[in-house]
Amino acid sequence: MSAENSLEVEGLGKSYRMYKSPFRRVTEVLTRGAIRGHEEFWALQDVNFTMKPGTSLGLCGANGAGKSTLLKVLAGTTTPTTGRYRMNGRVASLLELGAGFHMDFTGRANIFMNGIMMGYSRKEMASKVDEIIDFAELGSYIDEPVRTYSSGMGLRLGFSVAVAVDPDIMIIDEVFAVGDMYFQKKCIDRIYDFKKRGKTILFCSHSLYDVRQLCDDAIWLKNGEVAAIGSSVHTTNEYTSFQRDHIGTEGASLADEYPDAPGAKDPTKQLPKITEARMYRMDTDEEAYEVHSGDSIELRIWWENPNPDTMPINLGMGLLRQDMTTCGGMGTHLDDYKLEGTSGCTVLKIPNLNLLAGQFLIPILLMDGEGVHKYQEFLLPENLVVRNETKEVGLFRIEHEWAAGDPTPAKSKAEAQA
Amino acid sequence: MDTPSQTQLDDRDWVTSRPPALLEILGRVLTFPGTVVRHRDLIYSSVRRELATRFQGTLLGFLWPLVHPLFIFAVYYFIFTKLLSFKMPALPPGQESAMGVYMFIGVLVWAAFAESIGVGCNIIVDNGNLIKKLAFPSEILPLNIVLVNIVTMLFGVAMYLVGTATTSVWDAPGVLLLWVPLLLLLQILFTYGLILILSTLQVFLRDTAQVVSIGITVWMFLTPLFWVPEAIPQISKYVPWIQMNPMNHLVFAWREVLMNVSSVLTTVQSSVNGDTIYRANEALTRAGFPDSQLLTFDNPSAAAIQQTNELLGQIEPSTNVVVTQLHLSHDLMQSVGIFGIWAVGFFVVGYCFFIMAQRRFADEV
Repeated sequence: MSAENSLEVEGLGKSYRMYKSPFRRVTEVLTRGAIRGHEEFWALQDVNFTMKPGTSLGLCGANGAGKSTLLKVLAGTTTPTTGRYRMNGRVASLLELGAGFHMDFTGRANIFMNGIMMGYSRKEMASKVDEIIDFAELGSYIDEPVRTYSSGMGLRLGFSVAVAVDPDIMIIDEVFAVGDMYFQKKCIDRIYDFKKRGKTILFCSHSLYDVRQLCDDAIWLKNGEVAAIGSSVHTTNEYTSFQRDHIGTEGASLADEYPDAPGAKDPTKQLPKITEARMYRMDTDEEAYEVHSGDSIELRIWWENPNPDTMPINLGMGLLRQDMTTCGGMGTHLDDYKLEGTSGCTVLKIPNLNLLAGQFLIPILLMDGEGVHKYQEFLLPENLVVRNETKEVGLFRIEHEWAAGDPTPAKSKAEAQA
Repeated sequence: MDTPSQTQLDDRDWVTSRPPALLEILGRVLTFPGTVVRHRDLIYSSVRRELATRFQGTLLGFLWPLVHPLFIFAVYYFIFTKLLSFKMPALPPGQESAMGVYMFIGVLVWAAFAESIGVGCNIIVDNGNLIKKLAFPSEILPLNIVLVNIVTMLFGVAMYLVGTATTSVWDAPGVLLLWVPLLLLLQILFTYGLILILSTLQVFLRDTAQVVSIGITVWMFLTPLFWVPEAIPQISKYVPWIQMNPMNHLVFAWREVLMNVSSVLTTVQSSVNGDTIYRANEALTRAGFPDSQLLTFDNPSAAAIQQTNELLGQIEPSTNVVVTQLHLSHDLMQSVGIFGIWAVGFFVVGYCFFIMAQRRFADEV
């Protein structure tokens, strides 16, 4: 086994024993297992992967696919049933924010308790407490009992404690997109910072953007088994295309991603969907995901809508920089462009893309007739990478020119007029 | 393919499905002090937090653990000294509160034990969320409960020491207090071991807590808290059975340390068997002996007892039963030894049991 891996997982599996009644358990114990009182449920089966320091791995999959179970096993709160794993370095797990918070105690007291619970000494916590309080930005609330906090404030505190410790391996269970937008950004920055410093991050999220953005690799878990493993872009695409193909046939995963979609509960009813989307250089068939500032591109979206009369649709597209800054968003409903027919290909032309260098995520949205409810989010097969040769800073290249003007100071000119 | 032995060797620094081997479990029992030291911050903070939770937001705050034993003592003192005193005429001056003190110490020790068991039984189940979400040593949880109740008990002991030193209710204890650390340690081990077993059972079978709450009540009446086994002739034949109750030894040892127990038992006995004593006393007085000789037997020597019995036999043949019953369990060393064996036994068995089951807690709570 190579020592440079920070995490190695071999054939990991976890089964739970389900007893229908306590009597069955007693019977099983008394007969020393001769009468089997339990049923086995495999929450996780045969998971294999390794991680190197400085890499990050995302887990995606529907509810109950085994994501949390895998993280729980690796965090050490429960033991595997089969297989084995080992870790190299200090581990911090964040399975639930604020687990172990005591409502009657102040935020400050809870910082100490929580840190000590995670295995840090009081001395260590004393040296970190100011940093944690700074990060949480709770103001004078830090010395109030936690029961007076709003739920968002509680999450802030929990996250602040969790990231203040300096682990080598961090296990996060879809908790870090917490609080308001401002704090979310702070959390994401902190996670990025971890990654830059060579820490290993393992995390699970329903947000495929997060998985793509933060993770090099990803695992898609389906019914406890690995359905796909590989680069995060590849895996998330496999996952989304599976979901796309199984709308209507897999009630569970459908309800997960399309909770309010009409017909979500009725598998016979067909929903509109985006079948494919790609980025091209404008007016060519050359697919392009690495472009220069000022290039002209176009986005082609293929869609199907079985019931255009009862269920009109709109398409939308967003541009998100990697740090989650929204750089732009457009929608057919905003431009009064109608999508007609049961299927089609819609092209969005963007001449002279004046974004400055960066990596951008392009979510494509399929929305209802009013552009309010979102039926589907589709991710481009790759992120859009923009390069530029100039040294301008910022997000956009703003049209501008420099010129010589009137040398008289503006003030004296105003006085002269008066 | 690896042979099984090779695989086991290779598994050394891996986390696997293999349950801990017997040697590993025994190793953990032996390194238990190390575990406690390693997690001292966690234990200290949890105990402090738990104590603070009990009194946070109350008007008297940290005075409450003092009020509680004080109140219990006041009740016992009142009932057994003032209210019932007319039934026990023969108590010498300075010892009127014997029965009150006797019961107070019994109740104080018992309360620490019973409350630990009652809460401790559910400690793993109640902290299920913590166990599922945080990787931390769950064997700390039952220990915290024991320590919290020990600290509360010590508040009572402190009250008792201050009370006896400043008032004339009872003589202040002396050099026997050196036994206190050992008594505390054994009491902690005993209670902890029992909670480890019960809280584990409760995880797998939720009926445990119900059974325990009945069991504790029965156990309380089987432990001499409100009665003096030596003073009730009808139960003298059950004394060997009473000796099997570990809590009997613990309570006895505490009483011996905190009171001057041999004189107490003489007095108590005389108070319960007041009638007999009274007659014996009268007889002795008639024969020219002062009262106090019988009633304030401080550590009576065998010769003194024999002499008194002979004397009693001569004057009043029907009363010679009294004094010979004094020496039933009057050996502190022996009681501590017996309780110590119980305590270590419970701890080792409980800890092993807990360690074996621990890995399944997160799946069951």
